Amino acid sequence: MRFLARVPLAVTVAVLAAAPAMAQPAYQQLRIIAPAAPGGGWDQTARVMQQVMQRTGVVRTPVVENIPGAAGTIGLARFIGAERGNGDALMVSGLIMLGGIVTHQSPVTLDDVVPIARITGEYEVLTVPAASPFRTLDDLVRAFKERPESISWGGGSAGGSDQILAGLIADAVGVAPRRVNYIAFSGGGESLSAILGGQVSVGVNGLAEFAPQIEAGTLRALAISSAERLPGLDVPTLREQGVNVEFENWRSVVAAPGIGQNDRRRLEAAIDAMVRSVEWRDMLQRYRWLDRYLAGEAFARFTTAEERRVREILRELGTGGEGAESPAGAGPYPLFVLAGLALFGCAAVVNLRTHRIPNAEARWPKWRSVALIGVGVVLNLALAERAGFVVASAVLFWFVARAFDERRPARDAAFALGVSVAAYLLFARLLQLSLPSGWLAGWL
Amino acid sequence: MDTLQALREGFAAALTFANLMWALIGTTLGTAIGVLPGIGPALTVAVLLPVTFSLDPISAFIMFGGIYYGAMYGGSTTSILLNTPGETGAIATAIDGHQMARKGRGAAALTTAAIGSFVAGTLATMGLTFFAPVLASVALQFGPAEYFALAVLAFCGVTALLGASLARGLFSLFLGLALGLVGIDQLTGNARFSFGIPQLLDGIDVVILVIGLFAVGETLYQAWHRGREEMEVVKLHDFTGMNRDEWRRSWKPWLRGTAIGFPLGVLPMGGSVIPTFLSYVTEKRLSDHPEEFGKGAIEGVAGPEAANNAAAAGVLVPLLTLGLPSSATAAILLAAFQQYGLQPGPLLFSSRPDLVWTLIASLYIGNAMLLVLNLPLAGVWARVMLIPRPLLFGGVLVLASLGAYSLNRSMLDLGLLYVVGVVGLVMRVFEFPLVPAVLGLVLGPLSEQQFRRAVAISEGDVSVFVTRPIAATLLVAAAAVLVGPWMVRRWSRRPLQEPAAR
Repeated sequence: MRFLARVPLAVTVAVLAAAPAMAQPAYQQLRIIAPAAPGGGWDQTARVMQQVMQRTGVVRTPVVENIPGAAGTIGLARFIGAERGNGDALMVSGLIMLGGIVTHQSPVTLDDVVPIARITGEYEVLTVPAASPFRTLDDLVRAFKERPESISWGGGSAGGSDQILAGLIADAVGVAPRRVNYIAFSGGGESLSAILGGQVSVGVNGLAEFAPQIEAGTLRALAISSAERLPGLDVPTLREQGVNVEFENWRSVVAAPGIGQNDRRRLEAAIDAMVRSVEWRDMLQRYRWLDRYLAGEAFARFTTAEERRVREILRELGTGGEGAESPAGAGPYPLFVLAGLALFGCAAVVNLRTHRIPNAEARWPKWRSVALIGVGVVLNLALAERAGFVVASAVLFWFVARAFDERRPARDAAFALGVSVAAYLLFARLLQLSLPSGWLAGWL
Repeated sequence: MDTLQALREGFAAALTFANLMWALIGTTLGTAIGVLPGIGPALTVAVLLPVTFSLDPISAFIMFGGIYYGAMYGGSTTSILLNTPGETGAIATAIDGHQMARKGRGAAALTTAAIGSFVAGTLATMGLTFFAPVLASVALQFGPAEYFALAVLAFCGVTALLGASLARGLFSLFLGLALGLVGIDQLTGNARFSFGIPQLLDGIDVVILVIGLFAVGETLYQAWHRGREEMEVVKLHDFTGMNRDEWRRSWKPWLRGTAIGFPLGVLPMGGSVIPTFLSYVTEKRLSDHPEEFGKGAIEGVAGPEAANNAAAAGVLVPLLTLGLPSSATAAILLAAFQQYGLQPGPLLFSSRPDLVWTLIASLYIGNAMLLVLNLPLAGVWARVMLIPRPLLFGGVLVLASLGAYSLNRSMLDLGLLYVVGVVGLVMRVFEFPLVPAVLGLVLGPLSEQQFRRAVAISEGDVSVFVTRPIAATLLVAAAAVLVGPWMVRRWSRRPLQEPAAR
């Protein structure tokens, strides 16, 4: 294995001997935030970390939490806001988040969190369906240079690693990256089906997700973005076919802002112990991830350099920010929808004036009941994060019950507390969703 | 026959005591999860993954299969009884199911949902058993142009749900479309209408809209009209299953729902909204008494419930044969396979046939188990309607708020839920239909994205929608749905008028 050679042998041996000897877990609990939906690359990274940390005894109970959306920038904003100063939390991050921050003009960036370490890398592959007329990368590049827009590139979300690589390839063969007809799909499944079905000319994706199709022969890999061919996978590199591009999608972990030096050192030590374990090596192999462990100041410098690179490529691609104009431009659809909304809104108002609505007129509303629910809702919103979910839910329940029944406030209060505690235990304990526990934190 | 032999071996492996226990745990857990609004099978499987790592893969997957099918079934229970759909696939069920429950036929609605789910689940699993590879290759023929045409067909189907006033129905639809504009534009990565709020970048979750409009809106509406509609007290003697007439009216919708749901589930587009609503609209169009729809027509429960479960089985076709995850649950199942070092896809059937066939066998078993579990429970569940109103609605709002918050652990979602609830109240009071708004939010982004993808791939040539045979066929079908009822009315009127003229 090539990546094994990167780690000095002595370290490997020392780790093999040391890993199982860790008796006392460094952490009782550690929260690992995956800023993506279950099933994707970041989620898998978080869950693999969870397994390895638990098995090697680094952490007694690691918990994974998913906060999906917008190339991880929603998770990033949430992580910065909710975990500030929390030394027992990590978030998975990486190159795609850098792309997301630029593309979506995120108000928060990776400068707002504490860098811990880069941990894995993954190569990208260019694939076509077995029946495609493109036999080699040369065929593709020739057609691409002749008429760039005729080649549709299918891959993951806009501004992500897949689109970045497509832009780099265009640049390398002398086509303006802006002319890449990139078709963004929202997940690995969607783009895989479009590539398998020949809906797009070529697919550009992470290797792990596509390797099974390549091995089965349903997809033909035209090129891989590594420096040299990978052992056990007969796919030529971009470079050996005359396209001077080398690229990999890296993943990392970051810690919450505002943590102390001690917290930071403990987290770095925990990650260090994790990446040096045998279990971690097994997992890297199973998921076809590359060992790209890089910690401390070196990692911080690397992130800054990458951010500059990504920003530049994305500007050339014309993705994100002002003046963004891809072949799949936004068009008149939002205007059409808003015009329709205004038109039918007016029509509905006219319609309501001419047709009597028995509902609205013939029956007297119970304003008092609705107002009571309103009070419950406002209190629920105000209390949820401060006083905790049990208190907030119980208050909501009591006011709603009160809105329907004035006579038995004591019974309603008892039920309110019972239902809220039961619901909290169900969601927080059984389903392991982190609900704010607030005032009752010590009791539950 | 090879398949039958493999299936028999699968059954032999699945029918051990331990594996039956896992199937039972899975189906029970899945049903319970499905009942909770906002908590889907994807999250449940994700949470259970580390727990199951010590199990052997076969047992784990038997349990996951049970959770998956169970959750699809559980979603209908709250829909019918509380007008609070637990998942998007159960929205169509709520329309007539809840009306049935109000008339005291809640047990019958739950029964037809349970049997319909069983029939559809079993037939669709048979489809998975015998035709998976063929179906998967057909599904790959669907590109952006075809998906756009399918969305157009669904839009034309929505016209049947616009209600009495065209203006109010279309306003509701456009409200949904406008909400669908919020968030990142998938194709360019640009944020639209997110007002600089990071949480809005991902758009407005359809679950928030559904729980807000239905559960919160319904609670507010009941409070608004309190004392005026107390006559809806349910009579106890009605907690029996289906009567003869209801059986007669249910079996065709079960089969039609399966026929609609399974193929649409196979398409790697995800989502159970389109199959369930196409089934609902089909039943309404084919019914001899369309005026009963919206007032408690059992066909409106039987069809969508069957379609929902058939679509759930359909999702497994591309997952097992191609390694293609087409829904959130499929994605986490794929991750689960990988955690065991297995790779679903073209090689799985040959590399681990024992696992695949045991999983398929356990789907049949899980289906039967769900039926046995839920038939006797229908009468028990229906008694939920007897809980005193104050406690019932208190519980509904607590569950709704928990579900909304736990979607993304965002206070913004919780606030949005209540705002949508107030909108729901206003819409109810002024008799705006609610369903078109939900469909607009689901179909709007889908059709816009697919349209733009198709046009980008064809370099701006719009003719792809008519030159590609499947897309063209779907568009013709959409036109038929739109003008068909009008044509039928004209034709059927003519023979009646002619004798009168003479």
